[in-house]
Amino acid sequence: MGMMLKAEGLRKSYGAVEAVKGIDFTVDEGEIFALIGPNGAGKTTTLRIVATLLTATAGTVTLLGHDLRKNPEKFRENISYLPEEAGAYRNLKGRDYLKFMANFYAATPADAAGFVRRAEDIAGLGDRLTSKVGTYSKGMVRKLLLGRALMTRPALAILDEPTSGLDVINSLEVREIIKRFAKEGISVLLSSHNMLEIEFLSDRVALIDKGRVLDSGTPAGLKEKYRAPNLENVFRSALR
Amino acid sequence: MKKFRNLFVKEVKELLSKQLIVSLLLMMAMFYFIGLMTRREAERAAAAQKIAVFDLDRSGLSGQMLAGLQGMNFKIEPMTAATTEAAVEAAKAGETNLLVVIPAGFGESVGRMEPKVVETYSFLRNFSIVGARTSAIVRAVLEAINKVLSDNFLKAKIPETAPEDIKSPIKSRDFIVIKSRMAEGSASAVTGFVTSQTVFIPVILMMIILYSSQMVISAIAMEKQNKTLETLLTVPIPRTSIVAAKMLASGFVGLVSAFIYMVGFRSYMGGFTGDIANAPGIGQVVQKLGLTLNANALIILGASLFFAILCALAMATILGVLAEDFRSAQSLIMPMLILIMIPYFVSMFADVKTMSLPVKLFILAIPFSHPFLAMQNIYLENYNAVALGVLYMAAFFGVMVFLAGRIFSTDRVLTMKLRWGKKKVVL
Repeated sequence: MGMMLKAEGLRKSYGAVEAVKGIDFTVDEGEIFALIGPNGAGKTTTLRIVATLLTATAGTVTLLGHDLRKNPEKFRENISYLPEEAGAYRNLKGRDYLKFMANFYAATPADAAGFVRRAEDIAGLGDRLTSKVGTYSKGMVRKLLLGRALMTRPALAILDEPTSGLDVINSLEVREIIKRFAKEGISVLLSSHNMLEIEFLSDRVALIDKGRVLDSGTPAGLKEKYRAPNLENVFRSALR
Repeated sequence: MKKFRNLFVKEVKELLSKQLIVSLLLMMAMFYFIGLMTRREAERAAAAQKIAVFDLDRSGLSGQMLAGLQGMNFKIEPMTAATTEAAVEAAKAGETNLLVVIPAGFGESVGRMEPKVVETYSFLRNFSIVGARTSAIVRAVLEAINKVLSDNFLKAKIPETAPEDIKSPIKSRDFIVIKSRMAEGSASAVTGFVTSQTVFIPVILMMIILYSSQMVISAIAMEKQNKTLETLLTVPIPRTSIVAAKMLASGFVGLVSAFIYMVGFRSYMGGFTGDIANAPGIGQVVQKLGLTLNANALIILGASLFFAILCALAMATILGVLAEDFRSAQSLIMPMLILIMIPYFVSMFADVKTMSLPVKLFILAIPFSHPFLAMQNIYLENYNAVALGVLYMAAFFGVMVFLAGRIFSTDRVLTMKLRWGKKKVVL
């Protein structure tokens, strides 16, 4: 597996507040890499920097050799971002939303149709795709957005709290979809404060607190290192 | 281009909601209906007015007077009753709004040049335009009676001179001069005509600017509120295209909305201004004075309006970034509203040229002032002032687009918020 994404010395300040204080990590091809930590740890800020939404105060990010600062357009062609609590255009029908998003990535109408079909499979919303997004439940919107995020088979999918606000069944389905796409070669960078979910999903994790990486490794390796039964205990031990 | 079109079409679809279309059509229908009613009322008011006349005199003079009134487009309806009170009651039950009572001995008294009282009874049946015309009719009838009587008297006493020459020995010829052009006519009539033709310009401008600005601000605020902006900013399309698509779509929908609004408004206003525009003779005077818009003038005026709209869209884009949600977007239209209302009222009630220099500079610094002043300047052949205004707006637009582009190209588009006294930090 080759290296897909490399982040070095990432820093981000908002005025006097430094949200990210020098973070390094890499994501390999087909790997699910997770940032875990409590609220306000700097996970979302880090994901937003990689998603080209925020400009890092310092540090570099490269994806497939493209520098984010120098070539953000090229970066965007290869990523797909699913923000936490993201929404879709309420006045558009589900299928129209997918078509709208597919047209940004597709070179031909046939490509766009293929992307939409894949998104429909992922979302599994059936006939409800002909209804307006405004009529969807939170779980349905999340599935639609996950379909949108993965339909183009991006080099890197950035998923911020992918199961946020979902019930148990929907969460399980979303996790299985993410696993399946990673196996097909899509790299995934995700964040969550649900450490049990991360343990199930991730190949490697980075423990983040107050804008710094406390430790990183495979879930099994970290549990062994800290002699802990799960990642929650690992995190507590790492904080000490 | 394909991606831009994709985004532009989505923006237009989002803006052209069913609610907007229905409200615009309802507004147009309402204006059309009111305009139609007003026109009908005005036509009725302008038609020959019926006057009930209770002639207790029945002399030759009273007959002459009634013939004179008929010649002045009044339709006479003679009343037969035992007393004046009975005549009043009968007229009240009828359809006429005015009853004139000519007293007995009227002809004899007037023949001796002794004033005689003619009673008029106005029946105010409503307070519409037609109802209000009743008082005007009373005055017109009395003036007409006096004219007929005095003309008859003067003709009898001084047959060799026309009564009009005796009553108005001083005649006048009125000329209007605008720059190098001159025409004979009434200044007030020409001013009224020009005003009736140009009254729509500031209203159109104000509507377009407000509609478009509100749409841009709301479009960006809704993207923020529905959490769709973050996704949109990560798709492979230049940020400047996102800004341009929102601005163009809002401008397009704003123009369509304003057009529909103005069709209705014009129909509505036509009820009031139709008389002036159709006044005989005015057209020739206006033509001679050059107070008509030729192709070049329309192009200059169009350019002025176009750049004003662009300035508004660019400013609204920046304001939209400051909005946190749809609700806060509503208050962000206020700065735009103030900047539009100032030149709107100044152009209606004041002359910028006579203002002090600081006030004049302040007014001219507002980009929307220039199209408001453009019409007057075009009529007065001040083309340089219009051209300078267009250049200023183009420069202003350039600066605003640069600023909007800068904001959308950086993370300020997500982190900038208008929070009074407290800075928002996003982690």
